[in-house]
Amino acid sequence: MMDSTRDPTVGETLRKHGVTRRGFVKFCTATVTAMALPPWMGAAMAEQLRNSPRPSVIYLSFQECTGCFESFTCSFSPTIENLMFNVISLDYDDTLMAAAGDAAESALATAMKTNFGKYVLIVDGSIPTGASGACCTAAGRSAEDILREAAKGARVILAVGTCSSFGGIPFADPNPTNAWPVSAIVGDTPIINVSGCPPIPEVITGTLLQYVTTGEIPDLDEHRRPKAFFGNTIHDRCYRRPFYDAGKFAKTFDDEGARNGWCLYELGCKGPTTYNACATLKWNGGTSFPIESGHGCLGCSEPGFWDKGSFYEAQSTAKWGRAGETSGKQVLELVGATVALGGVLGVGSAGISRLHQTHLEKDRNEDVTKDEP
Amino acid sequence: MNVDLLSFARGPALKFALGIFCAGVVWRILAFCLLRIRRDFNRPRNSMLKYLWTGVFATASRSWPHPEFIKRTGAGEALGYSYHMGLFVVILLFGPHIAFLGSLFGITWPGLPSSVITAIAVVTATLFLGVLFRRVTTPVIRMLSNFDDYFSWFITMLVMLTGLAASAHLGARYETLLAIHILSVDVLLVWFPFGKLMHAFYIFPSRAINGAILARKGAAT
Amino acid sequence: MSRLSSIPVRVEGTLPAVGVTSPEPRSAPGSERNGGLGGGVAAILMELATCLDRLAQHEESAVIDLRSLPMSPSDRLELQQALGDGEVQATLNAEGASTLRETQFAGIWWIEHRDRDGELVAELLEVARFPQILGTVTDEIALAAAALRSQINGTSAPAMPRGRP
Repeated sequence: MMDSTRDPTVGETLRKHGVTRRGFVKFCTATVTAMALPPWMGAAMAEQLRNSPRPSVIYLSFQECTGCFESFTCSFSPTIENLMFNVISLDYDDTLMAAAGDAAESALATAMKTNFGKYVLIVDGSIPTGASGACCTAAGRSAEDILREAAKGARVILAVGTCSSFGGIPFADPNPTNAWPVSAIVGDTPIINVSGCPPIPEVITGTLLQYVTTGEIPDLDEHRRPKAFFGNTIHDRCYRRPFYDAGKFAKTFDDEGARNGWCLYELGCKGPTTYNACATLKWNGGTSFPIESGHGCLGCSEPGFWDKGSFYEAQSTAKWGRAGETSGKQVLELVGATVALGGVLGVGSAGISRLHQTHLEKDRNEDVTKDEP
Repeated sequence: MNVDLLSFARGPALKFALGIFCAGVVWRILAFCLLRIRRDFNRPRNSMLKYLWTGVFATASRSWPHPEFIKRTGAGEALGYSYHMGLFVVILLFGPHIAFLGSLFGITWPGLPSSVITAIAVVTATLFLGVLFRRVTTPVIRMLSNFDDYFSWFITMLVMLTGLAASAHLGARYETLLAIHILSVDVLLVWFPFGKLMHAFYIFPSRAINGAILARKGAAT
Repeated sequence: MSRLSSIPVRVEGTLPAVGVTSPEPRSAPGSERNGGLGGGVAAILMELATCLDRLAQHEESAVIDLRSLPMSPSDRLELQQALGDGEVQATLNAEGASTLRETQFAGIWWIEHRDRDGELVAELLEVARFPQILGTVTDEIALAAAALRSQINGTSAPAMPRGRP
């Protein structure tokens, strides 16, 4: 994977793979427009990258389903995003690389040593610390140890996916493996969270491309996610918003409202509290996104989305009880218990008041008889 | 990390508030219903049926001032009714509210367009501001006002304003605004049984009993 | 490998016009998808006029990302009709076909970049003497000169990248 003499520039690597300068300019232009950056930056980005050596990238996967990696790499046909693999030097990835066993570990060690302080570390999956780290190990080392070591030499960490950004599904109650996000394990290295379950491919490539071009962390929100992609809620950009504003909600998945494309708020859509680019960039090269396909947003790019209650209950519903669900039985139980309590208190208060009334009347009667001649 | 403000507001806080509300309302209703009624040794001037009916009738008839008083109190009454109706429309006919009540009671009903609800809510909040102005500027009412009145006004207004902010996504992230709105509803529910907001339950029996007593005495209502 | 376009799709009913248009290019974060909102075609034309002034006086070029503007399909059509077609049309075959069309207003170019699947990946209005992407850069010229000389002399030369088939 590494040239033993001068490292080839991005431009040279692209030429070797038959990608022309103009093709690369097109790719960069598409990426910057997707990030709502000024379109002229596409050509500037392409020019800068072409003449630069390919940045070293190490991709580590921990407690994950590989969905984020699939999003990044596998599409139904070669797309422009695959150019990313000509822009970066992917020096280690245990899913893609041909090497295995000791050879793979040796490749990782070499990549980290050679590019110490310069490589971009991409992490997907959460890091389990339960059972002394035995829940996720590679080559006899726990995920936590591998991450801590790799983070030391990284200039930035991209935590790709909700699992590495916030803990994701492994982190959900009861979190049996004691899983944690990257930010809970690593403190010194800058982290950019690219959350989503999985994230949209263009979001991953756009964030990575912007970083390797400028060398600067983009504007981040309070969850360390790039504001270019996570600055607006799905609700704010949803094409079904006029129906929400008009109060037209689908009540079931096959009623008239659903067929007419009405708002899915009452069917549990988490669009109003979910920050992501699904409503604008969409999925599968702009084909569609969950709401357009008739299913409410799950909120998969938000922390703790799995524990925030049913995917099928509206956000304005009550949510107590285990797993955040509220059943009619629970409500009846609460009302019954508290009405009974109120009854006891009411009868008690009335009893005290009646005693007081009796005393008052007795005193009044005594006064009357006292005043009588 | 999984317990955020919104989950708290519509989870444990709501459960607690609803519990206090139910217990408190039943407590206060029973505490007054079970009080001793002083025996009236007078001869009843009307039949029991008449004064029971008058009691029911008085609930409606006392809902609007007598003609002699309209000039002085009509504006205040109209203001009060207007914002009450606005509140009921917003609470009962807004989609997300219907979903919320539906999640508790298992029934739903059709609502109004959200833009209409927003307009009504803005008008209601403005009228409610007028109510405070009236309370503070009318000497007699001001003299009679206490903490109960002002706090009940404040917590109701807070619910309205936070609701408007949440639906307009103004001022903070949506989930924060929604959490604050639900928390203010929780505070209102806890306060409800112990302050003047209990008039929602007292007003009808109070008028009915007054009407019945007067009818028994043969007085006009 | 099967393609999305080969999956048979039957349209059973059309969605209401409000807020739903299909097919529609995906828009950048920050743009409205609301079919009821107009894009202000007049505002775009004013912006273009200002950019042309700057080009004429200061040689400053400009690029407007069309997909970041809130435009309904009717607005888009209106803009296309307003700008019209000029004399020059170019096709760029690089990682998919792109069309670069000068409008009836000299210096305003309507550019559509598509990927290998024909999906629109960027749509721009460039105000310039000619679109920047069409120009050739110095290092490519040097490489081309070397390659041509080699071809003339019948010797092996560095391959000119002409894109993947």
